[in-house]
Amino acid sequence: MILFDLLFMLLVAYITGFLYYGLYRNITARFQRRLGPPVWQSFLDSIKFFSKEESISHGWMFYLGPVIMMSGAIMTLFFIPLFHTGESFKGLSSYGNLFLVLYLLVLGALGNALAVGASGNPFGVMGVTRGLSRLFALELPFYISVIALISVSGSADIVCIAASQTEWNAFAYPLLFIAALFSFVGMMGQAPFDVVGAPVEVYSGPASEFSGKFLALLMSQSAIFTFAKLVLMVHLFLGGASGFVELLAKSFGLFLFVIAFGAMYGRFKTPQSIDFLLKVPTSIAIVGLILATWS
Amino acid sequence: MEFSLYGLSDIVLSLKVTALANFFALLIVLSTLTVLFIAPNYRLKRSFYLLFTLLVASLFLIVYAHDYLLFFIGWEVMSISTYFLLSFTLSKEALHKYILFAMASALSLFVAILLLYSTQHSFLYEDAKQSYLAMSDGVQQLFTLFMLIAIFIKLGTIGFHYWLVDAYEESHNLFTPFLSAMLSKMGLYALILFVANITQATYVLAVMGLLTTIIATFKAIEQESIKRLLAYSSIAQLGYIVTVLSVADGMGGALYHALIHTLVKLLLFINIAGVIYVTQKEKLSDLGGLIYKLPQSFVFLLIGIIVLAGMPPLGGFASKFMIYTALLDAKYLLLLAGVMFSSASAFIYVYKLIYGIYLGHPTHKNLEEVKEVPWTFLAPQYLLASLLVIIGTFPGLVIPYINRILGELNLTLLSFETIQTLITSYAQYNGFVVMGAFGGIFVLVLMMFMLLRSKAKKPKNRFDIAYCAEEPNEATHLHYGYSMGQELKRVGLIHLIAKNSSKYFYDFLAKQMQYFSEVVRKIYSGNLLLNFNIAVLFLIILLLWSLK
Repeated sequence: MILFDLLFMLLVAYITGFLYYGLYRNITARFQRRLGPPVWQSFLDSIKFFSKEESISHGWMFYLGPVIMMSGAIMTLFFIPLFHTGESFKGLSSYGNLFLVLYLLVLGALGNALAVGASGNPFGVMGVTRGLSRLFALELPFYISVIALISVSGSADIVCIAASQTEWNAFAYPLLFIAALFSFVGMMGQAPFDVVGAPVEVYSGPASEFSGKFLALLMSQSAIFTFAKLVLMVHLFLGGASGFVELLAKSFGLFLFVIAFGAMYGRFKTPQSIDFLLKVPTSIAIVGLILATWS
Repeated sequence: MEFSLYGLSDIVLSLKVTALANFFALLIVLSTLTVLFIAPNYRLKRSFYLLFTLLVASLFLIVYAHDYLLFFIGWEVMSISTYFLLSFTLSKEALHKYILFAMASALSLFVAILLLYSTQHSFLYEDAKQSYLAMSDGVQQLFTLFMLIAIFIKLGTIGFHYWLVDAYEESHNLFTPFLSAMLSKMGLYALILFVANITQATYVLAVMGLLTTIIATFKAIEQESIKRLLAYSSIAQLGYIVTVLSVADGMGGALYHALIHTLVKLLLFINIAGVIYVTQKEKLSDLGGLIYKLPQSFVFLLIGIIVLAGMPPLGGFASKFMIYTALLDAKYLLLLAGVMFSSASAFIYVYKLIYGIYLGHPTHKNLEEVKEVPWTFLAPQYLLASLLVIIGTFPGLVIPYINRILGELNLTLLSFETIQTLITSYAQYNGFVVMGAFGGIFVLVLMMFMLLRSKAKKPKNRFDIAYCAEEPNEATHLHYGYSMGQELKRVGLIHLIAKNSSKYFYDFLAKQMQYFSEVVRKIYSGNLLLNFNIAVLFLIILLLWSLK
């Protein structure tokens, strides 16, 4: 039964993730007065990449990198419940907690960083360096918000946090939500914090040495991972979800906000983004935490 | 076992086997055995082993002593035997730093102990609380100050770490694992005794611990020498323990993290001792690309850094989780945020460590000819790594032992159900499921990926990379990431940490001391008449004072 649940969650995340990615490309194109590719283009691309023969491997660590990243994404998905009510589609969330998920969020990227290092491509490592440098600043406001939520709801269990909201956390604790959104935009790889891949600027970031099937695996994990992160935010701030329609509506609303935000702003330099994240969202989060837990 | 000093019948000395002492004694045994395993690779004088034995004996005295006098004797023997052990390799300056700090630590411990003795005339641990309560407020603060200075110097918390980094960097590769794993733990043992028996000193520990973790983490990020980087990381890890000891229910997390830290630092220092043994290089900028030359060492370092960063499937996450929930329980939310922040920053230096040594490109010709390290280096790493994996899979395994210690110290016990789960008041997790899920998913993804017939070709040489449509050669600077973290200096807050150093403070202190000595030297000039006059003056003052 649990295996069926997990398989279903994976399928939902895979399809929805690619759907969202396609929509993202379309919507960003409209912002820039282009038409954009068909919605399923990215999905078809990934299938095509899977069927490609050629790819260079720089040894076993390089080979395992995308696999670790995929495993990290699937792990994150499985430890976040899809719905906070009912019995099914809880995944493995009863065996874990929010702290575990916070670490799982970076597990895949760090595993892949090893593969990038093993490839010996300096451009890839450049992306990793930028990502790691930005990571702690990016996580800080999110951590503070999450800690405040755990403290007010009295549990680090995601289901409990989602269920404990009479009013959405986003409205009950707006400052925490705003601070977490800054981090979330960065976690989704959107401007102004998209320093890791940094399209156009850096040659192509961590993915530069991966081609063919490796790239296909990276694309698929990105789709799954995006969906998992959205579900997490829905549970933490948007009152959770008890059905598919609710989940899709809330997560798509959030996704739309993130891509609109990303389309509007230019990119920070790495030190600028760290500086900004350590100053503005962190201060907002600290004030939010004090307001939320003051009694 | 209690006995009194010959001729001084009111001083009772005592040795006692307690669960806490056993816990630390077990760590001593483990560290000693693993460290001695790599000893055959080095040619050392016999006196080294003699001193090493003395050191281990003094550690046992420290942990099994049940009164502060024996504790002090052990502390002193430990400091001095360490001095001689360090003197084999340390430069004069580093050695001076060490002995000055060690003596300062021993003296302030001595003062603290005498203050404790002055009220109840007992050195025993069980009387310590009463002695402390019998002091006046001012004396209590003085006592806490001296005690904490002694402990902080041994722990190397920030501000008191000036000796530690040099000592770690320059000490013999055989001795560094022991220094990091065991000697700093003695400071921790003293701190645990202090917190459990006397007073919690909440705010001092909280502030000191948090500053230590954050500053040491960013200092670790800028280092280029491997051992220096690990020294700072060691300081940062002990900072977590100091922080969590500031809360009432933090003892469980502190002990858990002490165990994990001992295991992981032994693993890491033995690992890099192996790397230095085969390459003779100690800087990240001189290494690189060793992954396929030393594959086993690479995997062990990988396990080490996963634990150090507190990543889920392994033991590091269990102890971090205990620390986080303890802080959460005490409602120290911003402290918790600070600790998690420092934990996330640690990803940079752990990646830098593994990249600089094993990944990227070799920076020297002779790095392409090294062979895997001797099995004497690998054997202890197998043991330590498997212990860490077992603790990660069964995080509840050590809880009953920790509970025995907590029961003895009259603290709240940790809840325990099965060995697979770790339960705290806020959350629980099942290590077995996490490990199983990760392993299962990993194998499944790997199998499906291989079924797609992704028989990727091997490149012709290491320069066969995507490089902006150009072809790099020997002269191209490709080992890019070893200087990772440099750009962080452009961020104001971090620049502040990078720029400042406790060196300035201690230099200032030394200069003031010099001025003072200068003044004293002017008085004590060797001029007999002047000295005589001063002596007479003092005598008159003394006489007048005694008459009054």
